Amino acid sequence: MSKANPAPDQGLIEYKVDRVVDETNTDTKIVVLARQDGRPDSFPIWVGASEGHAIKLALDTTMTPRPMSHDLIKGFIEHLNVSVRRVVIADVKNSTYYATVYLENHGVERTVDARPSDAISLALRTHAPVYITQDVLSRRNTANIDSWLAKLDNKTGNQQELRES
Amino acid sequence: MITQMHLKGLMFDPYNNAYIVVLRDEDGQEMLPIWVGKAEAGAISMALENVAPPRPMTHDFMKSILDAYDAKVISVVITDLNENTYFAKIHLMYEDSEYTVDARPSDAIALALRSNAPVFAKETVLNKQSSEELEQWLENLKPEDFGKLDS
Repeated sequence: MSKANPAPDQGLIEYKVDRVVDETNTDTKIVVLARQDGRPDSFPIWVGASEGHAIKLALDTTMTPRPMSHDLIKGFIEHLNVSVRRVVIADVKNSTYYATVYLENHGVERTVDARPSDAISLALRTHAPVYITQDVLSRRNTANIDSWLAKLDNKTGNQQELRES
Repeated sequence: MITQMHLKGLMFDPYNNAYIVVLRDEDGQEMLPIWVGKAEAGAISMALENVAPPRPMTHDFMKSILDAYDAKVISVVITDLNENTYFAKIHLMYEDSEYTVDARPSDAIALALRSNAPVFAKETVLNKQSSEELEQWLENLKPEDFGKLDS
C-alpha cells in the first residue's frame, strides 16, 4: 500500500459530477464529469447500470430506506474515524479508467485502488473533491465529445436525467 | 439466540425479476431465503465462485478500505426481514474495539464472503420466515429458471 502523497495541485484538474445519462441500448450509464472551474471540457465515463444508479442517488441526495453499498462504506469510514481527502482518476489502460481514493486518519494518508464509479459514489457521499490528472486528460480521445454528448442527451430525451446546474 | 447459516445457493426468481440468496443452517433444519437485486446477487455470486474480477468490484473496494486500516469483519447477523426492508448488522473489530454497523443483508453477506466471516440469523427471523413458503415456491419452479445468473 502506497503512502505517497502527491500535492493535489500538481497536474490535477478538479471535476464535479454534472449528470448521469442513460444509455438506452445497453445496460450502462454515462457519468458526465464537468470541470469545477466551469470551463467547457466534459469528461464522460461509462459505468454499469447499478454503479450509475448509485451515483445518481448521491447526486440527487435521494434518501433510501436502507443504506446502499456506498452508504455502508461511508458508515465504515466514519466508524474508523477516517476521512476521504480526495479521489483522483489517475490512469487509463485499454479504455479502462483507474481511480485512487486518498484516505486519512490521524494525519496518515493511505490510498486505495478503485473503479472510478465506486470512487465517485463515495466522493459524493463524503463531499470529497474529484480530480483527473492532466496525463489522463491528454490521453483520452476527445474528438467531438461535447457535441456527441449533446446529441445523446437529445436522442435519449432523458430530460429527467439531466440535472439543473 | 442466533444460528449460524451457510450460503446454499443463489437463484433467479422470474416472478419477481429478482434473485434469491438461500441460507441454510448446519443440519438443514432451517432455510432462509433473502430476495436481492441483480447487482447485489452479482456481488455475492462472484465471491461464491471465487471469481477475481479485473478491477475491484464495490465490495472488494469496501474490503480494501477495511484492510487498509486493519479493521476485521468478525461476523454478520441477519436481524430482521420485513416486507421489503431487510436488516443486518456487521460486527467489526478495529483497534481493540468492536463496532456494529447497520447494513442490508446483501451487502453484509457479500462482505462476509470476502472476509471469511460467519453469517448468523436471529431466531426471530427464522421463525418469521417459514421455510414452507420457500419450498412451495421451489415446487412451482421450472428447471429453466435455474442458472440464469449470467444473463
